[in-house]
Amino acid sequence: MKLIRATKGNLLFHLAERERTLLVELLSLYPRVPAAHQRLSNSAKIPGGEESQRLLDDALAQQRTESRNKLRAFMTDPRRFERNEAGHRLSISPAEVEWLLQVLNDIRVGSWILLGSPAQRLEIDSLNEQNSADVWAMEIAGSFQMQLLEALEGRT
Amino acid sequence: MAETATPAAAPGTIQEPEEKSKSGQDSGYLVICWNDPVNFMDYVTHVFQTVFGWPRQKAEFHMLQVHEQGKSVLTRESMEKAEHYVHQLQKYTLHATMERDA
Repeated sequence: MKLIRATKGNLLFHLAERERTLLVELLSLYPRVPAAHQRLSNSAKIPGGEESQRLLDDALAQQRTESRNKLRAFMTDPRRFERNEAGHRLSISPAEVEWLLQVLNDIRVGSWILLGSPAQRLEIDSLNEQNSADVWAMEIAGSFQMQLLEALEGRT
Repeated sequence: MAETATPAAAPGTIQEPEEKSKSGQDSGYLVICWNDPVNFMDYVTHVFQTVFGWPRQKAEFHMLQVHEQGKSVLTRESMEKAEHYVHQLQKYTLHATMERDA
């Protein structure tokens, strides 16, 4: 994925056919972080802690639902990926980049959780049939995240 | 925290004043971000800039605190505002909590 042009309201990327396939495949995994995974606090010293935790769980669940719907619309919009001879052009606003970063990080962190939250990066010789798909999702999500961050910061 | 870049600032190179709540009353809740081995350093810096509106140098300072000391107290707020910030950080899947200031 390569940034072609950045204006105040729009970022235009070039994606090779394979990159588009990878992105679509990857985004289809959303959401990956288990519901009610996040804790509001580590201690029991928050007044009304259980109620606050429930409200947080509800807010995050609502966000996931909205993101899933938005993602469905994003992926099925025929104008989103404009095909040309070299591959595809993807046009997104900075606000959509921000949202995509959240979606990609959910996939990255959720995959890491599914791998058992390893403290160290998994070495190639520890890959097997059970974990390779999650490692793939974690690494590819991270790669797309970094490309979006670089585009936002004008580092490409 | 997964390493992705060499930051411009190192911990201790800038003095961070203790965060004060803008909301005045009941500002006894700390918003804390905890280290994990999965979130990229650049990503965490970006999220701090976005959620708190901080300049890059301040965001990097706190990101490095998280990375090197295991956690960083990001702000001290009222309960309501602390909840808001924790929710915003968790939307980005960062490991953030709020704790009552002792």
